[in-house]
Amino acid sequence: MTTKDVIEKVGLKSLSKFEHREVQGVFVSDMLSDVMAGAKSGNLWVTVQTHKSIVPAANLVDVSAVIITSGKKVPQETIDLANQHNIAILSTDLPSFELVGKLYGLGLVSS
Amino acid sequence: MTECRHRWEMANIQFGFVVFERCSHCNELRTYFSLEDTWDEYREDGCQWSIVENAQTFRFDLKCRDCNRQETFEDLMGLLYCTSCQADCEVEILRKTSETEKIFVLVAFGFLPQAKTKPIPQRKLDILTDYFNQRRDTSRSKIKIVSFNMIGDYLSRCRGEFIHDVGMLSQEPEERKRLL
Repeated sequence: MTTKDVIEKVGLKSLSKFEHREVQGVFVSDMLSDVMAGAKSGNLWVTVQTHKSIVPAANLVDVSAVIITSGKKVPQETIDLANQHNIAILSTDLPSFELVGKLYGLGLVSS
Repeated sequence: MTECRHRWEMANIQFGFVVFERCSHCNELRTYFSLEDTWDEYREDGCQWSIVENAQTFRFDLKCRDCNRQETFEDLMGLLYCTSCQADCEVEILRKTSETEKIFVLVAFGFLPQAKTKPIPQRKLDILTDYFNQRRDTSRSKIKIVSFNMIGDYLSRCRGEFIHDVGMLSQEPEERKRLL
């Protein structure tokens, strides 16, 4: 399954410019340190964090996309930095719990 | 006997806080790792220390899953990403040239002020670079971790940002304080 498939099937909004890639599992956390310690390459990272520091953290651990939940507004500087590094920033109005349920329904599981 | 090529994994992960404190008299900045969330102000010798920032972070060691060799990183204060604040800074120059090769440059800081005289050895930074590259699909992009010494004289003007958890209880993103 690719980021393109997930976007279409769950109805996510793309906020940054990026190349689609293969998705390998899901990691849910609102802490950068947690992501740096535990996320795996290709994971979808589900969070409500929108600070631009999510971009270097996502880049460091090579997640396939960051999904911002609960309709949180993402600052333009976060999107600009994501564009610079080819990091997928996606958003949804769904709360994290509901989104994770949908991702699980697609066959995606914890990394 | 062939030499181990080392496949690193994190070990001894410990979540805690990195504390940045500054003396209001001499303006010295010092940092340390704490297991507890602390906001104490105190006097020590001629200094009056106040906390500038207290961020959630973690520390870890790296262990080779093949030969069990272990490298400790208790001296790693954090990783900073360049915000291109100084065009002549060596980190910015490296960042720009590396960008074309899809290499993402991060700056490793040791705890201050000790790291100014005893920085994290290059050998350990190379291991850290290897570790993060082993965790990723390097056909797409790579990581390079350099020492904060590379910032040189620009350190006091550096506006780079640490990948630390700050303002986690805030509903809206907070403007990060300038730390260095």
